[in-house]
Amino acid sequence: MSNQTINLTLKVWRQNKNNPRGSLETYPAKGISTEMSFLEMLDVVNEELTSQGIEPIAFDHDCREGICGMCGAVVNGRAHGHMPETTLCQLHMRHFKDGDTIVIEPWRARAFPVIKDLAVDRSALDTIIQAGGYISINAGGAQDGNTIPIPKENAEKAFNAATCIGCGACVAACPNASAMLFTGAKISHLALLPQGRPEARKRALSMVRAMDELGFGNCSNEAECELECPKGISITEIARMNREFIKAAFL
Amino acid sequence: MTLESKIPTGPLHEKWDRHRFDLKLVNPANRKKFNIIVIGTGLAGASAAATLGELGYNVQNFCIQDSPRRAHSIAAQGGINAAKNYANDGDSIWRLFYDTIKGGDFRSREANVYRLAQLSVNIIDQCVAQGVPFAREYGGLLDNRSFGGAQLSRTFYAKGQTGQQLLLGAYSSLMRQVNTGKVEIFPRREMLDVVLVDGRARGIVVRNLITGELESYSAHAVVLATGGYGNAYFLSTNAMSSNVTASYRCYKKGAYFANPCFTQIHPTCIPVHGTYQSKLTLMSESLRNDGRVWVPKEPGDKRAPEQIPESERDYYLERKYPSFGNLVPRDVASRNAKEQCDKGKGVGETGYAVYLDFADAIARDGREAIAAKYGNLFEMYEKITGEDPYVTPMRIYPAVHYTMGGLWVDYNLMTTIDGLFSLGESNFSDHGANRLGASALMQGLADGYFIIPYTMGGYLAGTHLPEVDTSAQEFAESENRIREQVDKLLSINGRRTVTDFHKSLGKILWDKCGIARDKQSLEKAGKEVAELREEFWKNVNVPGDAADFNQALENAGRVADFLEFGELMVKDAIGREESCGCHFNTGYQTEDNEALRCDETFCHVSAWEYTGPDSEPVEHREQLHFENVELTQRSYK
Amino acid sequence: MNWFIENISTAVGKKLIMAVTGMGFVGFILVHLVGNLSFYFGKEAFLAYVETLHKLDPLILVIELVLLALAVIHVTTGTVLFIQNWRARSTRYAVTKSAGGRTIGSRTMPYTGFFILLYVILHLLQFHFIDRTQMTPYDAAVNTFASVWYTLTYIAAVILVGLHIRHGFWSLFQTLGLNHEKYMPVIQTVGILFAIAAAVGFAFVPIYIRAVT
Repeated sequence: MSNQTINLTLKVWRQNKNNPRGSLETYPAKGISTEMSFLEMLDVVNEELTSQGIEPIAFDHDCREGICGMCGAVVNGRAHGHMPETTLCQLHMRHFKDGDTIVIEPWRARAFPVIKDLAVDRSALDTIIQAGGYISINAGGAQDGNTIPIPKENAEKAFNAATCIGCGACVAACPNASAMLFTGAKISHLALLPQGRPEARKRALSMVRAMDELGFGNCSNEAECELECPKGISITEIARMNREFIKAAFL
Repeated sequence: MTLESKIPTGPLHEKWDRHRFDLKLVNPANRKKFNIIVIGTGLAGASAAATLGELGYNVQNFCIQDSPRRAHSIAAQGGINAAKNYANDGDSIWRLFYDTIKGGDFRSREANVYRLAQLSVNIIDQCVAQGVPFAREYGGLLDNRSFGGAQLSRTFYAKGQTGQQLLLGAYSSLMRQVNTGKVEIFPRREMLDVVLVDGRARGIVVRNLITGELESYSAHAVVLATGGYGNAYFLSTNAMSSNVTASYRCYKKGAYFANPCFTQIHPTCIPVHGTYQSKLTLMSESLRNDGRVWVPKEPGDKRAPEQIPESERDYYLERKYPSFGNLVPRDVASRNAKEQCDKGKGVGETGYAVYLDFADAIARDGREAIAAKYGNLFEMYEKITGEDPYVTPMRIYPAVHYTMGGLWVDYNLMTTIDGLFSLGESNFSDHGANRLGASALMQGLADGYFIIPYTMGGYLAGTHLPEVDTSAQEFAESENRIREQVDKLLSINGRRTVTDFHKSLGKILWDKCGIARDKQSLEKAGKEVAELREEFWKNVNVPGDAADFNQALENAGRVADFLEFGELMVKDAIGREESCGCHFNTGYQTEDNEALRCDETFCHVSAWEYTGPDSEPVEHREQLHFENVELTQRSYK
Repeated sequence: MNWFIENISTAVGKKLIMAVTGMGFVGFILVHLVGNLSFYFGKEAFLAYVETLHKLDPLILVIELVLLALAVIHVTTGTVLFIQNWRARSTRYAVTKSAGGRTIGSRTMPYTGFFILLYVILHLLQFHFIDRTQMTPYDAAVNTFASVWYTLTYIAAVILVGLHIRHGFWSLFQTLGLNHEKYMPVIQTVGILFAIAAAVGFAFVPIYIRAVT
């Protein structure tokens, strides 16, 4: 663990009430320890901005351990930065060099309007889940958990799809701002489990429709989402969604 | 006011059943006439909101994050306990009850803990039915593992992401209710006050974090599920937005705060490495199943771990606790780590870390088997530290993790304010002085899925609640008070940032009200916190304005509350002149340096009543009665 | 039919249209490529092949109409997708960088598609809608490829076709939900080979013609 200090130039998207169209502003980030996370680097810059009387950069974040899905920004053109399977809070400054210029932009999608600076409104993703990303069971009526054996392989596949943290990086990284990986992951998770089968048809149809209505783009099979997904969710989940949709829509 | 715990009579195993029978019911057709506010969307909040929605109540559910799915329950890694005895290794409801109450060092209610153990089995069934992808064996049945402090395998898990999967399960149920229209979601809202009309909780005031506007909502009952206050220490494993504000403001309105000094310090976290650090990351304690904890035998040994031969290593947990070894409860493990580091045996740059070594496990089971169990945790560790735990032992150190203290609640989970309920980590109810691993998830879900649906009905059916809406003057008064505070914060224009104050508070509490405490330093801490608070209100710098998305302002309000609350924590710690669970007062220890309880004088819950800004809080005591278990000195030798 | 329109006009439905119509073109290109091989056996062989095709009338007419319909659907849907995808990101990024998923083929799909359409029209005018009483198709080819410019345009166009196939071929399997870790690598490889075969196979015809005449 070698603790070095680097200096950087940040170009950060600023957008607020007084600057509704937004613009990239340049700030120095001096004396950044390479052990810091990207968000801790932003904290340091914000403390400095505050003491200079400049309003700190607004950015969403919460758990800072890569699981809540709240953080995210496009760093030098890459969603959550250039490291694979990493959220912005887990991107460490040891992956940058002294003197680097870093361009930081919010997720860009029509379905994710900017709230302020780097914070965007991702409630569209909740709306997609509301359309059917669940199994309709009320509390209290469940049978014993071991009644239905589920092959380990299927359970693991379902788990892999279910690890989606809903950060929206797939949408941000998609050349078409499509939410197919997000939607595909949820449809797959539930389609792979026997508990999810009774509603599989309805779910596939209504979730895909919800996605369309929210203004997301269409998938063009470029796999950028898969490569930027902090949980490594594969586009095979999109294929599974397509399969589920075809079955539900045309068979 | 005396504390009425409302514990039902009868034998322990029949209490909950009897109580459910005694509770009044709300006719299904009448449920839609009741509005219920739920604050928080973690395991407790989301499960409560969804379940109340399923029953037919109108639910308004608020959260501080941009989506209900982000609540910090999502970060729980290890697992969830349930007395299913699928492993056939001797588990039972009674044993889970006993382990939990003993783990809590006999500072929790028998009846509550027994109910929790009873409901644990239903939780697993419910979650499986929701599609939670728990780990399974090749035969397709659910897999179990053993978890910190338990000598049997009763922990259900989903790799290292159990909390995430359980929360997404509860979230999916919640989204289903949103779709049916029974639940309405209000994200990016921070609760800043509970509104009392005729002495009952009838609504809340929240700040819309996007526009900065204050919004009032009225209801027939309010459910608080806003988590713990671990961030009082600044550095903790809690999420950045976790705070005490919602609970604290209820406390200021008359809800008693119970056992605020009970803070769990989790033994396996990634050590602190710099002053800029914003949070600590927990490594699931399931790692202790296979990892061996050690330090060099000689203080000040700065050799790299691989250069220290076996004979010069001290596997101190295995040495001191032969039967539990590396699996001793969290408080014991934490205290021992601190003890070793205080002796100068700590490792790493700061000397505040111990090794957690997987070399033997890898040699025994193979790298693949270890990767299958802990792969994602190892990756996480490597991402943060840049070191590969397959090759170099992990370095770990304790960090603030969970708070057992919380709003005092009765058996119905209702606080001392009528109509205000508190669930999950935000209440004090089930974990006593120390929480066992894999039982926080259990409690949150038991409260939300299986307790509040009954006790809420009992309250609504048995109480006359005249209609109240937000035009009531109590709402306007509350909004005005909040507005005054916000304006005050923005007008100080001092020289120190909010975070700076928060860090100072954290340091005071960590040093003097942390893993080990003593009277002298606690008293000093009380004074320091008060001074810091005074400085805060003169010298804090909060940029931006009120009618905007202003994260510094949000944070300022939270830190302001922590600065008051910190003093309450310290006061409670001073008052409890014994050691129990995580509250280790160095003045009270056995010859073996174990926590020495004083059951004669302190077998009670300390519940604090707010009496105004300039007067001392008043302590009320709820005596704990143990009819079914014998109070023993914990021993993990 | 309401349900059909509703389902086919979703994001997945439109992709299905592209996949199914695309599959039609894959078949067409395959047959066309094989047919073109007759060129290498001289004028008689080629004209015999053309003659055989004409004997299949009216089947050929049906196939032509089907191809026309496929083209109209493919182009229309593609245009709708292009516009929707453009609109889905109202503000563009200042810096964009691929994570490695995009290929030249995938990046250029709408553009290669557009130029292929233009080329197909030109191609049909040159070879299909000609007065066959004046000129055999063989002579038409020889005359046309006598022009260096047309030859270069033709070669450029078939390279675009190759690029379009490079992304389109595996993509149609993905869209149809036929993505399996065991088979996808094979599908990807076949797609690339087919793309190269189409580009090279078509491009060689004018070169051969210019060489022999």
